[in-house]
Amino acid sequence: MRRYNIFYFIKEAFLSMVRNGVMTFASIAVLLSLLVVTGGFALLVVNIDKNLESIGVMKQIVVFCDRSASEEKVNEIYEKLIKLDNIEKDENGNVTGVVRVTKAEALQQMKEQSPGTYDDVTDENNPLYDEFDITYVDNAKVSELDYQIRQIDGIVKVNNRLELATSIENMKSGVMVIFVWFLVVLGVVSVFIIINTIKLSVFSRRNEISIMRYVGATGTFISLPFIIEGIIIGLVSSVIGYFIEMYVYSYVTKMVDSEIGQIISVYPFDDIKLYVLFGFLGVGIVTGIIGSVISLGRYLKQ
Amino acid sequence: MIEFRNVKKAYPHGTMALKGINLHIDDGEFVFIVGHSGAGKTTLMKLLLREERISSGELLVGDYDLSKLSNFKVPFYRRELGVVFQDFRLFPKKTVYENVAFAMEVVGTPRKKIRRRVPAILNTVNLAGKQDSYPNEISGGEQQRVALARALANNPQVIIADEPTGNIDPKMSLEIMNLLLKINKLGKTVIVVTHEKNLVDYYQQRVVSLRDGLIVEDRIGGMFSEKV
Repeated sequence: MRRYNIFYFIKEAFLSMVRNGVMTFASIAVLLSLLVVTGGFALLVVNIDKNLESIGVMKQIVVFCDRSASEEKVNEIYEKLIKLDNIEKDENGNVTGVVRVTKAEALQQMKEQSPGTYDDVTDENNPLYDEFDITYVDNAKVSELDYQIRQIDGIVKVNNRLELATSIENMKSGVMVIFVWFLVVLGVVSVFIIINTIKLSVFSRRNEISIMRYVGATGTFISLPFIIEGIIIGLVSSVIGYFIEMYVYSYVTKMVDSEIGQIISVYPFDDIKLYVLFGFLGVGIVTGIIGSVISLGRYLKQ
Repeated sequence: MIEFRNVKKAYPHGTMALKGINLHIDDGEFVFIVGHSGAGKTTLMKLLLREERISSGELLVGDYDLSKLSNFKVPFYRRELGVVFQDFRLFPKKTVYENVAFAMEVVGTPRKKIRRRVPAILNTVNLAGKQDSYPNEISGGEQQRVALARALANNPQVIIADEPTGNIDPKMSLEIMNLLLKINKLGKTVIVVTHEKNLVDYYQQRVVSLRDGLIVEDRIGGMFSEKV
């Protein structure tokens, strides 16, 4: 069998796109809108996840020691705390999640935060406690940690954000499940619409395909131009879609930053542009190819 | 050489289109296949083009045994045939030249050879000078000649024409038939499926008459049979 020149198929694909201009335009329009909608949705999900994540990062417990505890006693508490599970450690296994804040330091911090307010409080009449700021790893095991800390002698109070942490975790997984399902449904609908659009285009050219078969064209010969057409449609839609997404996203980001930028943080487009571009290219091209192959199937039977 | 050995064809819904055809066509013959609607002409064509598979019997075309031909090999088999249809089946958005060249591109003919051969074939079918026209810019007779040129493009040994004169006026019909005879004189086997009595009687070639899925007459130098 002879080898065909790939440029022949690319030329045929381009010619066919021009000759069937309306169908080409329709395919690009459908794929483009689906990419922009799906992409926009994905970006929304990513940003919501980022914000939930930053709330979830506050995995901290504050432990207060008995005011009468001696320096030895406080050190003893420290030794016990660093032996607990679920405490943040660095990569060498050293505990980083237990930070001691003496009552003098605590007072100093308060004075710095509100100058003038606590001027009459001195180290002698300091009502604060020696405390440990504990950073833990796993929200799911925080109640266990809380219990263990309370068992340590010399600790009078434990502040944790257990409820907040749990509800954020629950909300996060709930929101993600809903969004992921939305994305899946949107993706399936996209592929379905693309298949139908290409099917229409193939149907309108079924006579051409039948002629090809009668003159002895192989399945590959018939389908390659259609597949290349699918790739080109995917490529064009992704590139246009990328620029639309960039413009819209930057506009929305600017608005969010100026209105509620202190509450919500948004990824700058530069940080995610490669994901958007390659995501669009991948989805666009693969959808184009799948659409062509599925749509052609019926007409290629000998 | 084309050989039908007790070929039967039943369609899935039960219609028995061919009930046992025995037919031998030698290389270089000119054969009319005649019969009224429902006689089995179209089915016979479809079997020859391997658009349908035979239900039983044997069908040999040159080196190909169509009863055993796999789907994968069908395109390569079809390249051995040149086919002309009643409705021309040209690419409306390709020029006359491109339509003929396409059949050669399909089989991977080098562009140089295509550029040499297409004008020569167009000349054979008296279409020199029309190569840049689109099908809708030329007459029905001319469109059929383009189809004929396309059928000849790859130099096949067998030309099958399905009602080639069905869509064109009588004068043009004679021209198409004369061209088919000219092609036959070049050594090609030509099979013309038709129900046009006048043409068959005028040319007096071998006539195979079909009726209800059976061959009822096979005569050399024959006329359109009264038996169909």
